[in-house]
Order: sequence, then C-alpha cells, then structure tokens
Amino acid sequence: MPATSAPPSAVRSTLAHDKLGTFSLLHFSLTAATPLTVIAGGVVVMFAVAGQIGIPLGYIVIAACLWLFSVGYTTMSRHITNAGAMYAFIARGLGRIPGVAAAWVAATSYCAMQASLYGLLGVTAEGVLASAGLTVPWWAAALVAWLLIGLLGTRAVDINAKVLAVLLVVEIAVILLFSASNFANPADGLSLAPLSPTALGGEAAGAVLALAVVGFIGFESPTVYGEEARDRRRTVARATVATIGILAFIYIASSWSIITAVGEDDVVAAAAADPTGLMFSLAGDQLGDAWGTIGRVLLLTSVTAAALSFHNTTARYLFALGREQVVTAKLGLTSVRACAPWAASLAQTAVGGIVIVVWAVLGLDPELHLFYYLGTSAGIGLLALITACAFAVVVYFWRDRQGESLWHTRIAPVLACVALAGVLFLSVLHFHTLLGVEQGSPLPRLVPIVFAALALLGAGWAAYLKRAKPDVYSGIGYGAKATLVQGTGDVKVSAEVARGR
Amino acid sequence: MPDAPAPRLVYDALLITSHHDFYKPAVAPRVAELGLGAALVAELVLSGHLAVWSSDGSKLAPRDIGVAPPTDSLGLWLTELVRAEPEPLPVPEWLDFLAVSDLYAKTADHMVTTGLMHRTERRSRWRKASQVSYEPADALVAQAPLARIRRHLSSMEHRMPLADAFLVALTEAVGLSKSLYSQTPYGAREYALSHTRSLPAPLQSVHGHLAAAVADTAITGNF
Repeated sequence: MPATSAPPSAVRSTLAHDKLGTFSLLHFSLTAATPLTVIAGGVVVMFAVAGQIGIPLGYIVIAACLWLFSVGYTTMSRHITNAGAMYAFIARGLGRIPGVAAAWVAATSYCAMQASLYGLLGVTAEGVLASAGLTVPWWAAALVAWLLIGLLGTRAVDINAKVLAVLLVVEIAVILLFSASNFANPADGLSLAPLSPTALGGEAAGAVLALAVVGFIGFESPTVYGEEARDRRRTVARATVATIGILAFIYIASSWSIITAVGEDDVVAAAAADPTGLMFSLAGDQLGDAWGTIGRVLLLTSVTAAALSFHNTTARYLFALGREQVVTAKLGLTSVRACAPWAASLAQTAVGGIVIVVWAVLGLDPELHLFYYLGTSAGIGLLALITACAFAVVVYFWRDRQGESLWHTRIAPVLACVALAGVLFLSVLHFHTLLGVEQGSPLPRLVPIVFAALALLGAGWAAYLKRAKPDVYSGIGYGAKATLVQGTGDVKVSAEVARGR
Repeated sequence: MPDAPAPRLVYDALLITSHHDFYKPAVAPRVAELGLGAALVAELVLSGHLAVWSSDGSKLAPRDIGVAPPTDSLGLWLTELVRAEPEPLPVPEWLDFLAVSDLYAKTADHMVTTGLMHRTERRSRWRKASQVSYEPADALVAQAPLARIRRHLSSMEHRMPLADAFLVALTEAVGLSKSLYSQTPYGAREYALSHTRSLPAPLQSVHGHLAAAVADTAITGNF
C-alpha cells in the first residue's frame, strides 16, 4: 500500500511563488560589490604599494579563504535570526558582549569605508570634469555625490538595487572588454609568473591580502535574504559561493591582464606613476581614446555605486542596532512612505558630510589621506570582523552541530579560522606597507589600537546593558526581531529565538 | 451563541495605514498589507475564532469551542484558510501570506458594501486593464480611527478598550508614531506603552511579529 503524504499547505504554496532564487540573491550580493572601483581604484594601487606582481595570486588565496568561511557562515545563517549582520553571528556564537563589541567595530568600519569613498569620488570627478574643461574642487564634486547618496539612502532599498544593478552590468561588460583587450595586446606574451607562489611574499604580502579582502565585501549579503530564499539550505550557500567565484574571476582576470599588457617588469613602475588611471590609459592606447574616457566616467559611477552600497550596509547595521536599542532607538525608525531606515541613513549621511567638510577645510589630500588611509584602516576593521565571525561559527557549532555535517560545522570553519587569522596577522604586521609609511610610524599602530578601544568600549557598554537594562541585553543580536525577545512578558517566540544565548 | 463582531479593527487599520491626508501620510503598500493582516488576525483572536499558540512558536490555529463562524466574508475567509491548513502555521507566515493576498482590496471592497468607502474604476487609454481605486466615503469617517486613539492618548483618563490598545500598537509598528503622538501631552508614550505591555499574550505576539516584519521589510527592501 503506498504511503500517504500530508496534504500540501495552500499558504506555503502561495508564499513559495514569491521566494527568491539563487539569481535574485546573486543580484543583491553583486550589486553590493562594485568591481570597477576595486580594479581601477584598488588593484592598480596594490601593484604600486606592494611593489610585486602577485596580486592575482592574492585574490586566489582570499577567494579560497572566503569560500571556506562561507561554508560555516551560510550553514549557521540557517539557524539564527538577523542573519544579515556579522555581529549577530558573533553575539550568538561568542556571546552578547563580544557581539556588541563587534557591532561597534563593524558600524565604524563600514561608516569609515563609505566616507573614504568620497575622497576617490571627488578626485575622479575632478579629473573627468577637468578633461571637459571644467575646474571643480574635489570637495564640491564629493558634496554633490554625497547629496545624491543621502537622498537615495532614504528611499527604499529596492530603488537603490535597481540603480546599482544597471551600473553593475555596464561595469562588468567594460572590465571584461578591457581585460580581453589587455590579453590581446601583451607586452611580452602571456606570463604565468603572477600565479607563481613566489610572486606573493615579503613585507607586502599582508598588504595585498588585506586589500584583496576589501574587494569581496558584499559576498555576505545573500544571508540577509535567508528567510525569503526559495530553499534556505541551498539557495543562500549557492549565491554566496557564486558571488565569491564571479568576483574572484573578474579580479584575477583583470589584474593578470594588466600585468600582461604592461609587462611583469614594468607594471609596478607604471602603476606607481598613474595609480588610478593606468587601466584607462591602456584602454585608450589599445581601443581608442574614447574608451579611456568611457572608463573614467564609469569609474565615477562605480565609486558612486560603491558609496551607495556601503551607505545602505551601514544604515542597515545602525538600523538593526537601533531596533535592538543597543544604540538610540531613534536609529530604528523607518520612513513612513518608503519604509526605509531613514534615521540610520541620515546619521550616515551626516557623518559623510562632516568628513568631507573637515578634509576640505584642513586641506588634506582626498586620495591619500581620505580614500587610502581611511579606506585601508576600515579594511583592517572589516577583516577583523570577518575573522571574529569565523571564530563565532566554530564556537556555535562546537556546542551543537544542529544536525549539520562535519564538513560544514567543524572542518571548513576551523580551516577558515586559521586562514583568516593568518591573513589578519599579516595585514596588521605589514600595515605600514599598506599605508606607505616607515615601519615603526605611529599611524600603523594607531589604527589597531583604535579598533581595540572601540571593541572594549562596545564590550563595556554591553556589560552595562546586562546589568542596567536586561530587556535590551536579551535582544542583542536579534535585529528586526529584537522586539520579540525584549520585555514581551508572556510572549513566547519561536524555538530558534528561544535557543539564543 | 454570541454574534460575531463587525470587523471594525481591520477597517480602522485600513483607514489609518492607507488613507493619507494633510496630517497623516499613507504607509508603504507592503507595510499597509502587513498591518491589515495583523489587524484581521487580532480581530479574529478577539472574537474567539482564532487562537495563537504562544507556547509553540506563535502558531495560529482555529478555535472550535462555542463560537459560531464569523458572519462577515473577510473573517470567514481567513478562518476557513486557517482551518484548512494541515497543521498550524506560525504568525509570521500568516502575515507574509496576507501581505501578498491583496487584503487591501478585499477589505476595501468589504467597506464599500457597508458604505464606508467608494470604489472608482478608471479605464486607462494606454493600458488594457482598468485601474480600481478606493476613497473613503467621508473625510471625517476616514480620520475617525486615528482621532479616536489620539483622544485616548490626549486624555489618558481611562484604560483604552482592548481593540483600541491594539490599534495604537499597530499604528506605532507600521511607522506612524509621529502622526500618533503629535501634540499629545507628556506621558502619552508611556501611557500607550503600558497598554501595549498589558495586551493579552496572543495580541502581543501578533504585534511583535508585525513590528519585526516591518523592520525586515526596511532591511531587505523586499517589497
């Protein structure tokens, strides 16, 4: 007699139609990354800073580390709420006090990363406008972009996603065209030297790896949509791995193509001579001047998109913290008509505006002192955040494997911890190279100290909340669902929420 | 056998979330649908047709003991849907489902039959499909629910009726705090909060999940 199956749920069948598939999640995560900014603003600078050609290898190493990390990360995301924020993983894995410490570091890092992009944006706009015969100071162009991003940030995220998606498609097409052109015009033939293990070493290895990590930020986005995913078990993991794979392919191909077009002996000097323009100079020489100009204009839109993307991420972090009342609850307010996290968005806009004004008033260099110093410092913070998250995954599954496989809960997470801790160690050790200053200078020491101080302050604040506001403390790490655990008296929440530490 | 109450809570929720005037904007469509879903569930919980099993992940289940089926089509529709499920589903899933079930049009049509709203159908010259819109029959009627709960918050003299206490919580959860508390006396928020905290556990659960769903919408932007 055949086994009778349970009748289907009409409600779940209806909801299944609206669930997001792998491509939808991939769309969200890739729009959070802006590859042209990474390549034109980061890869060429890496050649100049590191003084070596092992950049493609650096991207391979980081892609492998993040793939290992994503195995445990996406597995844990299925078992927790607020799976879009790494501090939530840390709160659930290591405890609420480390969670708040991580939240402070994360919010500061994302905020600093976003503000740093106004430097690159101002310089790029200044260059593009100068080529059109207009003289505009960098800060004026940055303020125009700041206003645009501030306005878009208070709109619903879906509008931003559409803007970012169009820009992304154009960017990827141009990068692939430029890379193909570079490979078609080799200086000394195709060389495999950039992929040799000896190509990446010395005091610059940590700098290369830290900058490579920054290029992948956004890979973690699919977990935000875990609850709307068609198959929470597979869709999120597939989209995360696909994001890492696609970005790795683009970065490896484009960095290798630049080495091929310029020549492995000359690329470092060429990059040092023209850090943000080398890619477009090559395109101009090979494809015609118009393509170089198109590339520069696209870099401008790409940096704007990157700033918008980081703006959204920062606003989302601040909004979640506001909802948990870990910071002022006002940051958890939404706009009525658009349902956007407008208070958090305005807070981020205010920070960005203050940074532009201060840098302009003090006459600091927008490229070196704003984009590079602030951006790389934020990169160290984000690398520390990912590493702490990797440890949280290990600890979380060490207590209970939740029925998941050994590979997903023990082997891959432990390997990711070792790899990311190594990358973080090298990055901090070689941070002076990253900043282009002498070893022993105060700045490379100051940045890790600032992040450590932030973490300590966050931990202290969490300890205060534990004693003075246990309701608020109980909701740490739950983001949008914090109200379900805070001061709800008899309200019982789902088993998953109830299991929280 | 008691009569099923008129579905007033869901009418009030529609007028508060979807009607816009000089003093109060309408909320985003997805949020309005979530609010309407929460109001309809709360109404059926209050009338004793549905129960929220708080001890088991806030699952929504039918209550079959001593209550006649709802007399209105809206309440009957949801009650029958809940009854038809092979096993009770969590409240968040029901809110998601109701948000994609065009609950606004269903409720508005219901209000048209009671004379509270007018239905207008316009045929577009460019599109083949006609566009349907709903307008309150009377501006005063449209403003009445918010005015009523604001009056409670202004006077703070008595305890609010349970349905109004839930409506206050709902209005705040969908992001209309500014309209709700504008020019209310000092202490109005605490007064409202004390009512929200003393809601019965099933209604607190529905309110909590509504607030979480609105916050999720803001984070994901998934309309």
